[in-house]
Amino acid sequence: MKKYWEIIKISFKGQIAWRFDVAMNILFTVTRILFAYILWGAIFGQRDTVAGFTFQTMLSYYIINSFLSQIEMSDGVSRELSRRIRGGTFSKYMVIPANVQGYFMAQSGGVTAFYLIFDLLATVIWILVFRIRFSFTTDVTMILAAAGMVLLGLVFMVQLNYFLGILAFKYQDINLFLMMKSNLVAFVTGTMIPLVLLPGTIVSAMRIFPFYYVAYLPSMLLIGKNGEEAIMGLLLLSAWILLFLAVNKIVYRCLRIRFDGVGI
Amino acid sequence: MNKSLRFIAVLLKMKLSHMMVFRISFFGGFFVDSSLFLLQLLMFNAIYSQVDSIGEWSKGQMLIFVGTFSLLNAINMTVYFFGVNGIPSKIKSGDFDHYLTKPINPLLRLTFENINLGSAPLVLFSIGIVIYGMSVQGGSASPAACLLYVIFILLMALLYYDMEVLIRTLPFFVISTDSIEQLECAMFDLCMKIPGVVFKGIFKLIFYFILPYGIMATIPAQIITESISPVGIIYAAIVVILFTVLALRFWKFGLRHYKSASS
Repeated sequence: MKKYWEIIKISFKGQIAWRFDVAMNILFTVTRILFAYILWGAIFGQRDTVAGFTFQTMLSYYIINSFLSQIEMSDGVSRELSRRIRGGTFSKYMVIPANVQGYFMAQSGGVTAFYLIFDLLATVIWILVFRIRFSFTTDVTMILAAAGMVLLGLVFMVQLNYFLGILAFKYQDINLFLMMKSNLVAFVTGTMIPLVLLPGTIVSAMRIFPFYYVAYLPSMLLIGKNGEEAIMGLLLLSAWILLFLAVNKIVYRCLRIRFDGVGI
Repeated sequence: MNKSLRFIAVLLKMKLSHMMVFRISFFGGFFVDSSLFLLQLLMFNAIYSQVDSIGEWSKGQMLIFVGTFSLLNAINMTVYFFGVNGIPSKIKSGDFDHYLTKPINPLLRLTFENINLGSAPLVLFSIGIVIYGMSVQGGSASPAACLLYVIFILLMALLYYDMEVLIRTLPFFVISTDSIEQLECAMFDLCMKIPGVVFKGIFKLIFYFILPYGIMATIPAQIITESISPVGIIYAAIVVILFTVLALRFWKFGLRHYKSASS
């Protein structure tokens, strides 16, 4: 475990070198809130509630969801894997004395920990700037369930990006998959709209998949809604993580033999 | 003019033979962007299942707006995006030298050297959304409105191009424009999801004049649904003319400040 802890620490410190990127990342958290503020402002101009949300709870939902999406930084995992595999420099990860998936998990953990602090600060600033009466549950059980789910969600997203990244062993150019994944994930994690607005059958189908529990359900739990889904969500997300742990192990073992190293 | 057209035809031929090498990626742009706009349709469909209107816009108008934005994006992706997008890296690496030494306008070559026919089906996909939006809206557009819609689609595609060129001319003066390009992406993404009619106050000023992404799909959508005043149409035309003049002047100004990095 000590080596993974060191990777977390190095990744955390490494972010300090990219101060301007961090600042821009924080600044851009505002675009999602701005989107919600303008669009939902126009919708709520003519009514008090939509699908059980008031304007203030809707903005609170978007603020929490935006925060959770922003701290999920695992996109870099698939990009790094794809770049290394295509460029023939993936050998670096084959020779280090750590499990490759574990390495990327720890690396993402360090990056997320760094952004967590600054994104939290940005969230508070946006709440003040937009003068939002922030809705946040006082139920400790719901907060703990949401926190657990967020943690598991982050782990799952690293696994998903790792899976897509190692597909580069077979397909070389996986940019198409990655861009489509980004579009789909933004929708199915409730970043574009709260999933409760979708037809019931679609939402029921979404509950089987892990994305529902990555950012949408934790956001709903933190504004005091959908408490009855918390236990099931934690169990389902854990099951998906275990499944992907095995799938990634098998896929990596099968595909790594296709790799051609350069300069070794 | 004839020389330029022949030159564009040669560039297209070269690009096509290059694209055939990477066949899986050929329709990549189409798949990515069509999924993006399909999800946006789903988003607005979900919102309209709960409400009758957004601002003053009905579901039909919103579908036309999404289709129009998709159409502008399709023209952008097919014709000039991949060419214009490469300008900053060419300036930074010094590869821009090759463009200056050729007996052809460098901006013309950069604009059309990466025509991406793989995104062309997006045009048909977008027209399909607009037609569907018209059927949901009820009633039909007059031939004059349709003609004006086509003219303004072309004008707004030009405005879109102007905005891209303006931002990608900045590397002549500064080392990195990554954050400005990120800002462009964020603002574009915002205006893709929110029709201009919803903007009020400072946001209207920003997205109707300073960064006019807000008018790009809104004005043509208002034209085809015949819900815009002549003043609105004239205003949009003036913005396009202003930004085109500005983009071309800024580009020429940037060229004079180019410091080759390669030799």
